Parts: sequence; structure tokens; C-alpha cells
Amino acid sequence: MVYVNGLMPWCHRLFSLPEERFSVSQSHDTIISIQSSEFEKVISKIYDESFTMVCIFASESAVPDSKPTLTYVFERTGYAGFLILKLELSTENVISIGLPFPTACLYEREIRDGFGIEFINAKDNRRLFLHENYPKEFHPLRKTFRNRPVETIQPVPPDEEYQFKKVHGEGVYQIPVGPVHAGIIEPGHFRFSVIGESIYNLEVRMFWKHRGIEKLAEGKTPEQAAALAEAVSGDETAANTWAYCTAVERISGMLVPPRAEHLRLIFAEMERIYSLLGDMAGMSIDVAYPVGACPFFNLREEILRWNDNLSGSRFYKGAFVIGGIRKDVSAEKLTELTQYLKSFSERYEDAVRSLLAQPSVIDRFDTTGVVRSELVAPLNLTGPIARASGVPTDVRIDHPYGLYSKLIPRIKILDGGDVLCRFNIKADVIKNSVELIERAIGEMPVGPILAESKVKDGSALSAVESSRGQNVHWVDIRNGKIERYKVRTASFCNWIAIEFAVLNNIVPDFPLINKSMNLSYAGTDL
Amino acid sequence: MSVEFILYCLMNLGLVIVLAPLFISLIKIVKASAQGRKGPSVFQTYRNLMKLFKKEVIYSSNSSWIMRITPYVNIICMLVAALFVPLVFIPGPQSWFGNVILFLYIFALARFFMALAGLDAGSTFGGMGSSREMSLSSLTEPAMILVFAALAFVYQATNLFDIFITLSESPLMAFNPSLMLLAISLFIILIAETARIPLDNPETHLELTMVHEAMILEQSGRNLALMEMSAAVKQLLLMSVLINIFFPWGNTTSFTIPAIAGSLVLFLVKCILLALVIGLFESSLAKMRLFRLPNLLIIASVLAFLTVILEVFLP
Repeated sequence: MVYVNGLMPWCHRLFSLPEERFSVSQSHDTIISIQSSEFEKVISKIYDESFTMVCIFASESAVPDSKPTLTYVFERTGYAGFLILKLELSTENVISIGLPFPTACLYEREIRDGFGIEFINAKDNRRLFLHENYPKEFHPLRKTFRNRPVETIQPVPPDEEYQFKKVHGEGVYQIPVGPVHAGIIEPGHFRFSVIGESIYNLEVRMFWKHRGIEKLAEGKTPEQAAALAEAVSGDETAANTWAYCTAVERISGMLVPPRAEHLRLIFAEMERIYSLLGDMAGMSIDVAYPVGACPFFNLREEILRWNDNLSGSRFYKGAFVIGGIRKDVSAEKLTELTQYLKSFSERYEDAVRSLLAQPSVIDRFDTTGVVRSELVAPLNLTGPIARASGVPTDVRIDHPYGLYSKLIPRIKILDGGDVLCRFNIKADVIKNSVELIERAIGEMPVGPILAESKVKDGSALSAVESSRGQNVHWVDIRNGKIERYKVRTASFCNWIAIEFAVLNNIVPDFPLINKSMNLSYAGTDL
Repeated sequence: MSVEFILYCLMNLGLVIVLAPLFISLIKIVKASAQGRKGPSVFQTYRNLMKLFKKEVIYSSNSSWIMRITPYVNIICMLVAALFVPLVFIPGPQSWFGNVILFLYIFALARFFMALAGLDAGSTFGGMGSSREMSLSSLTEPAMILVFAALAFVYQATNLFDIFITLSESPLMAFNPSLMLLAISLFIILIAETARIPLDNPETHLELTMVHEAMILEQSGRNLALMEMSAAVKQLLLMSVLINIFFPWGNTTSFTIPAIAGSLVLFLVKCILLALVIGLFESSLAKMRLFRLPNLLIIASVLAFLTVILEVFLP
């Protein structure tokens, strides 16, 4: 049950803060501005009421000598709106909330790199997205930052190098893997501490190809910045542009025409299908059973061609624009798509059945890489990983956007938490996506596909369910230009799951566990 | 040493070198068509080897002479081993050559150097591959020894040539039921020794799952070509052993051109069929979990051991 009225009345009672500090956004998010002195009290209340931390980010106004603001986003099961705390900093430091909310460490490290804000009592003060060879006073997200070449530190002195967790003991040794891999994949460094073949500890280090998307967006018009939202992660293009456009539409109070809402849903679900088909094929390849993977690769290619047919891009680049979609799809094409999806479903179910009928595959999938359900909330794991560990979470249901308030997805929950459960969850998501597309085509209205564009100033949060889970976008517009754009993808949250999933598994099973999550490196490293 | 034996040596070496890469491609083609892909041309492995032979060799600054001699030790071991396994023509009995124990230990020597070279470059993957290879070989080697011990019991000989001659004279002996058990063992050993699914995956790019590939990850250029050639020769030799023992029809003992030509055609047909079986076997299974591999290898040992018991205790 989702309460559309949001958290407002409840928070009002909970925090006993003056009325004028509260406001409610158009999407029922409750925004509370608090001061440093109240911060600890409010956080402990939020912790007691078992909120989940969604993300933390900093922003700064272009006005000279202004202090940065920290924004803390929380959610609570059953409430459609988010709880947004705005903390205006009076000094350059703030208390870390890494203890009650373990994932806060990541965001705090990110803010420390980007803005130079220090967190008091932080457990982890290592660099995050700016590696050690950036100079100390280099904080690119500050408004005072000027874009010019910087002198990097080469080589990094040994005592300033990144410190991986040290595991000592007889027979313990380290396996460094990456950031350059044997296959054609994105860069990521994995540091294993193993005893024999059993993994004792794993640390993932990302951020090898930082693109500075958030900084690039600043000063661009909202229309220009949409291209940056597309570039966040290749196979989440539709999800991310939809989230970005939704945020801008919420700021401006624009109403997207119904036909565009239907087409947006179709595009996003098609993207979910091809993205998850890739995951499933990859899982079969990684247990060295390519015969089982080929049908999935074939279907994925067909869907990509359909994407091109529907939108003019295999990856929905440029398909979403603020206020609607760029290009209408003819009724004939939609009828053809319905027919295609019938044959797709048959062949798809055949492929899943024949793969799961192979005992040697099941043997590899079963009990491998378990993510325990207790970890889901504290680590804010989202998407299929959370649902495979017994936690019902899906942004399309928890925080409905677009057409999802009418076409409610059906989600499957399994509680094994292993690779097999993740495979089954993904297999089911595809089936449901096909149903959603068929329903959307069935009730497709006629009419315009684009609302009149009238972008206003303001800020808004939007969240969507990508194929990997919850993606959150925050857009702040001042004077018709982007002031701050913050993206947090599901991959950013979920990378930490892998560090727990591999424990007590053997090294040769790591690639399979990794593929069963198939997280995006680019989506983490904006 | 007779002239006939010298001619046999030259012909066998020539055939092994020419044919070995062919069956690497062939198995790839079988696997590709099982997946609904076209697959590479039959000449692709030759092209790859030619390309690698032309490339420069790069050594890690941590590596020693082990890294430099290993490719040569490997290819020489495999070529010497090739003299033990007649592909088309079986020369007369040799009292001084063909000992089955020596044949097995030539393989062990090549493996020993390959594992050392894996450690030598100082990369993590090489060491990991060597450690896995040695743990697995502690199970494949006993299985192999048991298989050949069982053969020795069946044919009352420890000389490979004697065994092959007996077989080509009375090929019906291959229908001995206890030998069927050995055929299964030898097939498992063939899969294990050529690093194929379900024990290893020759096509993978995932360093962390590699066994054989991890050990040669640091090899480059000509040296890599030699290592790959050694692997191809090893595969052809094990395939020929399997064929010579269980499908010996057509192997000639007379050194005449028509007899050898006929034998060669038959050998190719049998090898192509075996490559088909290997390719389909690989396509029908996923790779096993590393810690489950001993189960499979122990099956090979147990079946070979059963044959020994059958031969010793059942007259």
C-alpha cells in the first residue's frame, strides 16, 4: 500500500520543528530545512523510525561566499514521497552519519572529493572518485573551481597511496584484478584477499574514467543537459533520460501528454528487456555454457533492432525530450510490435526453460554468491538484487512515476539471494515487461506527444527503476540554466553488495557472481 | 635403428605438426555450429600461429631463464612424445623405444615447466593457474597411470608399439568389455589434459576462472605460438592414443604407399569423428565448480582401476 499523501504530517509530529521549515513538493516529497544544531537529533529519529538512506549530495550556490548545502534523501516503505533534509552548512565540516547509515560513507567520501567538506568522526577518509594523483586542494564541484589543466601527482608517494583493507595470517594472499581486464569491459579494480581458493575479503575500487558529468551539466540549458543524462550509462539511457526529464517537468509543472507517457513506458520497458537479456546471456557464458546463451543474444539483438525501428536509435539516444518524446510511433508499427512480442515470449520462455533444464548450469548457479536479506536495507541495495534477497522493492511501485500509477507492475520476490534467484528474478522481470508493453499498446491514446516547453526555475528529485534498480536524479535550475545536477544510479549502491556476496565463495566463481549483478561501471563513475 | 623406423619418425612428426592445429579449429567449428554461429575457418589456427611466430617476444622484468626455455622444453617434449604414438603407420617392435612410463613422464616434464613458467613472471594469475594445474594434475596423473597400467595388464606389454601392433593385428580385441571402461577414462583424461569444458574453458577471457590459459598468460609472440602448438600437439596425441587403442582398424604395419594412404584417410575420418564428439560434449555441459572437478577425475581413476581388477582376477 502506497500512501500518496507523503510523509509530511507524520514527519511534522516526529521532528517537532517549526511549521515554516517544512514544505511538500509536487511529487509529495517532504522537504525539511534543518540547522547544524538540530542535525544529530533529527538523524537519530530518522534512524529509529527505520528509514532507508537513498543518497547524500552537496550543492553550492553561485553567489560569492555562499556556503554549500548538504541534501540528505531518505525513503520509507509505503510512502510515495521521499524525505529530503536540507542542511545549510555554517562551517566547512559536518558530523558523519556513517555509523547509523553505513552507505553514507560512500556519499561523504564523494562530497569530500568534490567539495572539500570534511566529515567529523568519519570511519573512512580515503579518496573516492578523485584518485590520489589529483592535487589535495582540487575540488571540481565547487563554484569557485576554474576549468584549467591541473598538475597531477606522478608517482603517488607510498604513504599517500590508497589503503586497501589488510588481511593478515598464514596462507592469506592478495589477488589484484584490473582495472585493465582481459575482456573488453569497463575498468574496475578488485582486490581479493584469499586463502587457497576461498575469498576472505574483497574490495572494489572504481572511478578510473571519471567523466565529470555533474560538473559538465552546470551552466547548460535543461535541453542541452538531457544529452548528458543519456551518457550516464549506455544500457540505462531510457531510464536515465526519463528520470532527468521527469525532474525538469516537476520543476516546471509540465504535464506530459498521455500518448507520450504510454510511449515512454514502452521504450523504458523495451530497454529493461534487452538489458536483462544481456545479463542472462552473460551468466550462461560465464559458466562456460554458450549454447544456452545464444538464444538470449539473438533475442537481445532483435529487441535492439526494434528499438531502432521505434525511436531511430538502438539505445534510445535522443528519444526522450523534456515534455514528452521526440518522435511519434505509427499505429501500424505498434501492432507489428504486439505481434512480434508474441513470438518473442514463446522463444524467450523456451530459452529460459532449456537453460534451467541443464543440471550443470543449476549446479553453478545454486547457492553461489548469496546476498543476505539483512544487508539490503542498511546497504540500500535496490532492484533485482534486493528482490532476489526477499525484499520487495521497485521504484515503479514504491514511488510511481509516469504511467506506472495506472499500469502497476507485478514483481516477484525470492529469498535465496543466490545467483539462481537473481537469474529467476530477471527472467520474471522480462516477462512482466512484455505484459506491460502489451497493455500500454492496448490502451494507447491518440493525441500530441510533446507538451509545450516552459522550463521554470526550481529544484526537484525524481527516481526511476532502471534494469539495475533505483536511479535517482536531482535537478536544480536557476535563471534557466542547470545549477546542480546530481545522479545516483543503482550501480553506485549495488557495487557494495558484491563485496558481501563473494565472501566464502571461491575465486573462480567471482565472475559469475559479478555477472549475476551486472553493474555498470560508467553508471558509478559519472 | 632401421631405416623404416627413421622414416616412421619423420613421417609421424610431419603429420603431427601439420594436423595438430587442424583439430583445434575443427572443435571450434563444431562448438560454434552447436551455438548457431558460423565459426572460424579450418585454417584459422594456422593463421594465428603464423601471426604469433612473426611477433616479438616480451618478457616480464621479473622473469628468469625458466620463462625463456619453457616454450622450447614444451614443444620438444611434445614432439618426442609424438614419436611414441604412430598416427598411420606402426613400425615393427622396438626393444629400446616406446616405454609407456617414459611417455607419461614426458608429459609430466612439460607440465612441470609450464607450471614453473606460470609462477616465474610474478603475475598473480600465472601463480593461480599453476597452483590449480598442479592440484588437478595430482588427480589426472594417477588416472593416466592407471589407464596405462590396465592396458599393460590387458596386452601383457609395457611398450606402446607392442600394444599397438597387437591391436592392429587383431582389432576385435578392442571389443573387450573391460576396455570400454578404459575408453571412458581415457576420454575424461583427454578432456582434462586439453583444458576443455567442464574442467577448464579454452575460450574464456575471465582470468579468475582460468587454469591452463592463466599459466601462459604472460607468454607472447613466438613463445606463445610454441606453447599453443604444444597444446595442439598434445591434443592430437591423446586423440590418436584413444583412436589407436579403441578403434584400431586400418592402422597399417606395412610400409607401402597405398597402405599408408589408405590408413591416413581412415585416420582423418576417425579423428574428425572424435573432434565432433569432443565438440558436442563440450557444448552440452557447463563448466563444473572448481572443487567438484576431483569427482570427475576420480571417476576416471576408478574405471581404470576396475579394469585392472577385472584383468587380474577374472581369467
